Amino acid sequence: MGRRGAGSGSAAAMPGAAERGSELSEQIEAFAARLRRGGERPRSEDTARQTLSLLRKIVGNGRWSRAGELMDLIRTEGQRMTAAQPSETTVGNMVRRVLKVIREEYGRLHGRSEESDQQESLHKLLTSGGLSEDFRTPYPSLRANVIEAINEMLIELEGTTDNIAMQALEHIHSNEVIMTIGYSRTVEAFLKEAARKRKFQVIVAECAPFCQGHEMAVRLSKENIETTVMSDAAIFAVMSRVNKVIIGTKTILANGALIAVSGTHTLALAAKHHSTPLIVCAPMFKLSPQFPNEEDSFHKFVSPQEVLPFTEGEILAKINVHCPVFDYVPPELITLFISNIGGNAPSYIYRLMSELYHPDDYEL
Amino acid sequence: LEDAERAFTFRAQLRDDPDVASAVAAIRALLGFLKQDRGETIQGLRSSLRDAIDTLSRVDSSVAVSSGGELFLRFISLTSLEYSDYSKCKEIMIERGEIFLAKVSLSRNKIAKLCHPFIRDGARILTHAYSRVVLRVLEAAVESKKRFSVYVTESQPDEAGQKMAKALRKLNIPVTVILDAAVGYIMEKVDLVLVGAEGVVESGGIINKIGTNQIAVCAKAQNKPFYVVAESFKFVRLFPLNQQDVPDRFKYKADTLKTGQNLTEEHPWIDYTSPSLITLLFTDLGVLTPSAVSDELIKLYL
Repeated sequence: MGRRGAGSGSAAAMPGAAERGSELSEQIEAFAARLRRGGERPRSEDTARQTLSLLRKIVGNGRWSRAGELMDLIRTEGQRMTAAQPSETTVGNMVRRVLKVIREEYGRLHGRSEESDQQESLHKLLTSGGLSEDFRTPYPSLRANVIEAINEMLIELEGTTDNIAMQALEHIHSNEVIMTIGYSRTVEAFLKEAARKRKFQVIVAECAPFCQGHEMAVRLSKENIETTVMSDAAIFAVMSRVNKVIIGTKTILANGALIAVSGTHTLALAAKHHSTPLIVCAPMFKLSPQFPNEEDSFHKFVSPQEVLPFTEGEILAKINVHCPVFDYVPPELITLFISNIGGNAPSYIYRLMSELYHPDDYEL
Repeated sequence: LEDAERAFTFRAQLRDDPDVASAVAAIRALLGFLKQDRGETIQGLRSSLRDAIDTLSRVDSSVAVSSGGELFLRFISLTSLEYSDYSKCKEIMIERGEIFLAKVSLSRNKIAKLCHPFIRDGARILTHAYSRVVLRVLEAAVESKKRFSVYVTESQPDEAGQKMAKALRKLNIPVTVILDAAVGYIMEKVDLVLVGAEGVVESGGIINKIGTNQIAVCAKAQNKPFYVVAESFKFVRLFPLNQQDVPDRFKYKADTLKTGQNLTEEHPWIDYTSPSLITLLFTDLGVLTPSAVSDELIKLYL
């Protein structure tokens, strides 16, 4: 988008603007390429931060004069970035947040009262005069307002893990046995915060084949938390002794379900069987307005080298080997979501979503 | 005399346009009455519209007509709050009424667009009785080049399932009609259940043709997703806790109620499916979980 803009307006535009335009486009391309390659396991928070910085640059340096044009620009770039790696839902979430911010800022400048909700509702169907917003009026202060709002979002991002960890003492009591799976930085912070005042045990399922649980156990034991590592097959066996299961997740879907690391569904089913509460610690930027449907775009398969090494040549010729990274956990198995805005039940997710995103943006 | 005239117009509308939802026909009829009304006050208007709604319910006693009527009355109240001058108010009402009717005629397409991605290629779908919204959704799925097959329950006592099967065959969808009693048997073969609704109640449950509750219970027992498609004007302010709580005036046909015979001998035409059995509701307000339905109703009525 930036390159095309530089070409058409080059006669009138200053050379600085054109350079900035193409540099921005290169940065977006590099970001998308990094996402596509996958490889190292990026922190969701870092991905979110990088996306927001790129979007802020688009708002600041992009060629647009009206809110409608800005929204189209962001939508196009957003589609490019999400297409690179559909399983990284944080990218899409941040794009939708920015679109909602633009709508709000425009509404505020346009003089519309906060009361008149932009959401679809029966009420709106009955009382609206008909015309919907066209975002055509230019407002010079819109640029600065949107950039300020994005800066606020970046600051909010910084504090999410701490906000979640602060709630740890309410949920973890002394002499409890907590179970977790794999390595989640949010859960690590959560447990460390509780360990400052309470004494409890943690059982970590190693989460084959990447065995990230080992790293989690090492980090927890450095804080003098009594940690046990066990294989995924033993999850059901020890579940009767566990008081709570606390896990992290990659994505929270619109119906309250999870896309989490492979093995989480087993853990959730075992917990349900023993009526053990399952608590999910996840910041709000992981909430995605998508539903689990035919798209199946959340799935990510990596090299089956981890499951069956290539050295087993003879067997490999006769079988199919898959190594999925993610699992789907239905909302009935989850007890509570702890996020930076507090604790919520899975049935309440629809409400949180309506506060974060606008329905027109669900489909980027 | 006026009553008979109104009943006649409504019946004519239902007959002429079989594709339109009965609630939309009711609202259209009520809008017509509003235009003809010669009263001078809002109170007068409301009471004459209440009479009109009663008349309409005597023609077609379904939940949908009742919810459409309630919605229209609410629409009148909301508009009258904004304008104190009656004639101006009436003008605005008529204008907004037309816009509303135009919007709801698009609702089926919106729902079809939301719902058809949930039908995968090669899916086997179970549906119940005759629902025009489900038909539209399946039509949209066919248009997006998906291949799937459908099982329809026969849906006694009016064999609505046969009508549905005929419509599906016209779309070249492989369809099998099954006995109502065979739902438990067929459930292991299907991938998802898709039904329409005559009314969506405040708890997020639905009121639909008799037999729907059975299908929902079987689906839950076998872990199959149970999807409901309904337009937003079907949301009704009822909160039934069990089957008995559903008012008699919805359960039986208008003609049966008029004869005043002993209702315990009659078979009800609808049943109530509780929200715990429903996976998702597809409406023109978006894809909703059952818990989100009451939020929508509160936004409107309170």
